[in-house]
Amino acid sequence: MKGMVIGFTGTVLAIGCLLAGCERRSEPGPAVRREQPAFEGTVVAVGDSLTAGYGVREEDAYPARLEKKLREAGYRWRVVNAGISGETSSGTLSRVNWVLRLKPDIVILETGANDGLRGIDPRLTRENIDETVRILKQNGVTVILAGMRMVTNLGREYTDAFAAVYPALARKHELILVPFFLAGVAGDRSLNQPDGIHPLPEGYRIIVETVWPYLLRAVEGKKRERKMNR
Amino acid sequence: MFNSRLVRRQIAGALRQSAVFVLCVALSMVTLVSLGSFSQSVHSSLLRDARLLHAADIIVKARSPISPPLREAVAQMERRGAIDSARLHEFYSVVRADAHARGAEASLLADVKVVEPDYPFYGAVELASGRPFRDVLSAGVVVAEQALLDRLQLRVGERLRVGSATLTIRDVVTAEPDRPVNFFSLGPRLFVAAADLASLDLVGRGSRVEYTILARVRDQRELERIAAELRKVSLRDREQIDTYRSAESGVKRFFDNLLFFLNLIGIFTLLLAGIGIQSTLGAFLKEQERTIAIMKGLGAVSRFITGHYFALVLLLGLAGTLLGLAASFLLQQFLPPLFRGLLPATVELSISRGAVAQGLALGFLVVLLFTFLPLYRLREVKPRAIFAKEEPGRVRSGPAWLAGGAVILFFLAMVLWRIREVKTGLYFVLGVGLLILASFLCAEGALRLLRRRQPGSLVLRQAMKGLFRPRNATRAIIVTLTASLTVIFAITIIQENLDATFVRSYPPDAPNLFFIDIQPGQRQPFAETLGIAATYHPIVRGSVIAVAGEPIDPEQERQKRGDNLAREFNLTYRGELLEDERIIAGKGLFRKEWPGLQVSVLDTVVKMRQMRIGDTITFRIQGIPVEARIASIRTRTRAALHPYFYFVFPEEALRDAPQTLFTAVRVERERIAPLRNRVAARFPNVSVIDLSETVTVFARVMARLSAIVRFFTLFSVAAGILIIVSSVFATRYARIREAVYFTILGARGRFVLAVFATESLLLGGVSALSAILLAQAGSWLVCRTALDINYRPFPGTSLLLVLAAACLVVAVGLGASISIVRHKPAAFLREQTDE
Amino acid sequence: MAILEARGISKSYTVGSRQITVLDRVSLAVAPGEFLVIQGESGSGKSTLLAILSGLDRPDQGRVLCEGRDITDLREDELAPLRNLCFGFVFQSFHLVPSLSALENVMFPAELRGDRRARDKAEALLERVGLAGRAASLPHQLSGGEKQRCAICRALVNGPRIIFADEPTGNLDSVNGRAVLELLLELHREHRTTLVLVTHSPEIARTADRVVTLRDGRIVPGSDHV
Repeated sequence: MKGMVIGFTGTVLAIGCLLAGCERRSEPGPAVRREQPAFEGTVVAVGDSLTAGYGVREEDAYPARLEKKLREAGYRWRVVNAGISGETSSGTLSRVNWVLRLKPDIVILETGANDGLRGIDPRLTRENIDETVRILKQNGVTVILAGMRMVTNLGREYTDAFAAVYPALARKHELILVPFFLAGVAGDRSLNQPDGIHPLPEGYRIIVETVWPYLLRAVEGKKRERKMNR
Repeated sequence: MFNSRLVRRQIAGALRQSAVFVLCVALSMVTLVSLGSFSQSVHSSLLRDARLLHAADIIVKARSPISPPLREAVAQMERRGAIDSARLHEFYSVVRADAHARGAEASLLADVKVVEPDYPFYGAVELASGRPFRDVLSAGVVVAEQALLDRLQLRVGERLRVGSATLTIRDVVTAEPDRPVNFFSLGPRLFVAAADLASLDLVGRGSRVEYTILARVRDQRELERIAAELRKVSLRDREQIDTYRSAESGVKRFFDNLLFFLNLIGIFTLLLAGIGIQSTLGAFLKEQERTIAIMKGLGAVSRFITGHYFALVLLLGLAGTLLGLAASFLLQQFLPPLFRGLLPATVELSISRGAVAQGLALGFLVVLLFTFLPLYRLREVKPRAIFAKEEPGRVRSGPAWLAGGAVILFFLAMVLWRIREVKTGLYFVLGVGLLILASFLCAEGALRLLRRRQPGSLVLRQAMKGLFRPRNATRAIIVTLTASLTVIFAITIIQENLDATFVRSYPPDAPNLFFIDIQPGQRQPFAETLGIAATYHPIVRGSVIAVAGEPIDPEQERQKRGDNLAREFNLTYRGELLEDERIIAGKGLFRKEWPGLQVSVLDTVVKMRQMRIGDTITFRIQGIPVEARIASIRTRTRAALHPYFYFVFPEEALRDAPQTLFTAVRVERERIAPLRNRVAARFPNVSVIDLSETVTVFARVMARLSAIVRFFTLFSVAAGILIIVSSVFATRYARIREAVYFTILGARGRFVLAVFATESLLLGGVSALSAILLAQAGSWLVCRTALDINYRPFPGTSLLLVLAAACLVVAVGLGASISIVRHKPAAFLREQTDE
Repeated sequence: MAILEARGISKSYTVGSRQITVLDRVSLAVAPGEFLVIQGESGSGKSTLLAILSGLDRPDQGRVLCEGRDITDLREDELAPLRNLCFGFVFQSFHLVPSLSALENVMFPAELRGDRRARDKAEALLERVGLAGRAASLPHQLSGGEKQRCAICRALVNGPRIIFADEPTGNLDSVNGRAVLELLLELHREHRTTLVLVTHSPEIARTADRVVTLRDGRIVPGSDHV
């Protein structure tokens, strides 16, 4: 692993270097205050690094922004960031029960990108998301499915099959579909980090705008549901 | 006024001391020339290799299409004839066999490299057929790694679907110049000709591609200027311009450090050789004292005498220089096999003219510096030395300080010159100074201790008396011996620790295949497919939000060197320690009596941020903040490759958390590919990391490193031996005298030998014991602070070193004393009364 | 029986390319308890003869007998007990071990044979010659006379049968020299130790029981006188 090579080289580098490195100690900051205000509903953003917000601060990733937007719009809902960088659709499936412990009302499901980057067969990705959605729906969760597209260098056949997974599943399970999660962001150098894949804060702002109408639809839908169930 | 006959007779008369002097000079020459040549060879080879490693002189890289200004600049330079360029595109893509065989993977992720015909500018892409790369790769043709053919079950000549194109596999690539060690790639290599780029239809908007322009500079002197010009027009943060000199190379860094270390050893050896030179010359001149006194009595002026002996020194120095050069040439024969496997095969080790010239100049300086003082002391020989037998000479310390100061300055200059980092150079000189001081204190302490003892045995008492002869050199010998032995011991112990940490922790049974992302439900079928007994570790992803109430600042964390707390961690849960884990704080892994959630942390985490047993860490596991108290701190007894976990939770805590499984096994090379295929077929979600290549390279590297360091340490040992020999010879007269006295008084030969052996043993024992103590302290310091590895004292090795050193001193002492014992009393007495 | 006998001793050295004959068929017998002086000019071979008589050197020809026993061909290790127990040496250049104190120098031969009472004997001897106060001094701290007196004690500590003295007063001034000589004579008379002394001084020769004169490696005939 690259880390070990770097570690080894770094160790050899240190031979003869008798200077002790200085380490800045961080100033003790304010203690973590666990806020548990009352909220009306829970949205859980389940996904990979695009959800977790790799390379940006947590408050710049889209779930936190969504929560802020909800509050500003008068909805006292919380949005939990349950994104795990590097996760594939298999991983998402494996933790769906853990996510259900949060008792989500709505789940924004954004997954599959890492399957694509690893060249995993889109059929497998479809199976995983299918099962994930099934379990969520079984538990009364409203699912917003984030449509994904794959980088074109993988080949037309592959990217077509990949992109088709999301609309197909949305149709099958009657889900709210965000056609393309990274619409307006993917491929734009100014909105992405140097690796070309992970968005910058400006990129996430656009993503939030993309997702917002669908979330609103889901939230209103949930509120109606509750009224009906009373 | 150079009387060559007299000089030759004098040398012949003091053959032993002359020989040691010559050897000391030879040793300094060998050190200077060999290390100098080695540095030169490696440096030029590395530069040559850097070209190979990058296949070009200038490398332009970006993750988006090269900006128009930069493209235009390159094109202009090419039109001018200043450079040749070649464009490369690297990306992953899913390739398919055109007609897929049964049982084979339908498609495969491949590491595609689209290259223009001029690639590579340096080095060669080696093909299995042996044909030149340039001839094989053309439109419609691809060259692939064997693994791709295996996994798709294709053969050379069959067709492959890449993007929108269908291409024919024409050959198999066995080696790429710019991919020396296959660290980590998601797929096997596939070379495609640039002519086919458009037909692939894979590169464009929405693709993740690394765009590269390689350039070969026609006139090497223009290299930096051209690179600077390109940098000016490039997009600062998106496009990177490197030359083969500046490009980060792990290999180059590695050799810089190795050479740095070897240079330190070389300088130290030079210092010891210089001390040897001074000591032998001093003893030689002491033997000449009578002659000199007579010469002065006959009216010779100091200048004549000094000039005479200076000529003698030069003659001996010349002999030593020639011997040293010859030895250097001989040594070059031994170096290549020593370095094989470590240096790329293209390195030619040879004596460089520059190194020889340097060696001569420096050698001359060293001889000057170290012979200054004894030659200066010739002034103080008075004619009455003819008569007096035991002159307790008074020595003016002025010139001694001057000489000492000059030596220090010289070595400081050498250190700074070779090592180039002022701070490190100063530290080194400081270290050597402290070492000598510490040796001195040890010597004083030991001698003082010995002085008090009055053992019953006559032999022992005589031996101890021997140490305290008036006008003795015992202290100087012990200090020199202790200092040089300390370095040698310390190098050995540090090596042993490095060995234990790196080499032995890559033992033959270290795992070489890591399987990650195994779903819990797949555990049983996966184990069956794997067919090897393995431990499956549950992995729960989580991050650290706060420690003991203090939140983690990701920005600040990421700026730290090495690992930091801002990243995601692989949390795990179990009830026992792993085989290579040890608890260093806390009672047991977890505490039964504690309520609430606990966690056990690895000591590397504590290094990232201070934390203690009982502190609370706030994690974020799948969005849920989770607090856990630190119940214990673990450490690993093996480093690196074996799996390790920073945070371990109790079973109940995370059993229901979303998790994957991870395992690491060892598989023989031949079985790796079929196993991967099987796993990939049944469990496509499982990712495999193949470390077999990396492990072998590392093991080889470490073994070579140890051998090299030990080899060059031999030089220091040789210098140390010469100093011992020289000092034994210097006290020769006194020893003969005592031996004769003992014999006259009725002692047997056995007695005399026993006394000398015991004296050497005391000398060697005191030095070796002081040295091992200082070496342990120094090694501990270096291991814990500079190298940051575990430290073990290796008592067995230490004992062996002490015994070996003591035996060496005794052997040398006895070896020199044999002839003394045989000295007939009558002969001595005759010489005494001879006038 | 003679305590020491030399029969037909010849010795020559090769210096460079020349052969120098130092002793030429010298024969000599020493009676037990006798004070014999071997007198001669420098270069006459007297020191060589003494060395051969005392076993410190080997002759090219001839035999040396000590109390009837042929010691000519004995190895160094076999001569050792002889040197330790039967002989005592006093040299012109004193030849005290520089790293040992006066007391330790005197004790040494006794310690070599494992004598438990070495220290007492040595102290007594030093007392006897008036060096008790200098017992702890090192040789380079003693004057010439003191060094020689110390050497004499050393020669006597094991109660030897023969004392060999090679120009014992050679490096001393006349006062000290006389004192040392008197000491030797006193001790010789006290213990009836055989004393073989080499000197070039006629005055010293006069004090002997018997004088043998050497010239050019041969005994001057008729010099064997009392």
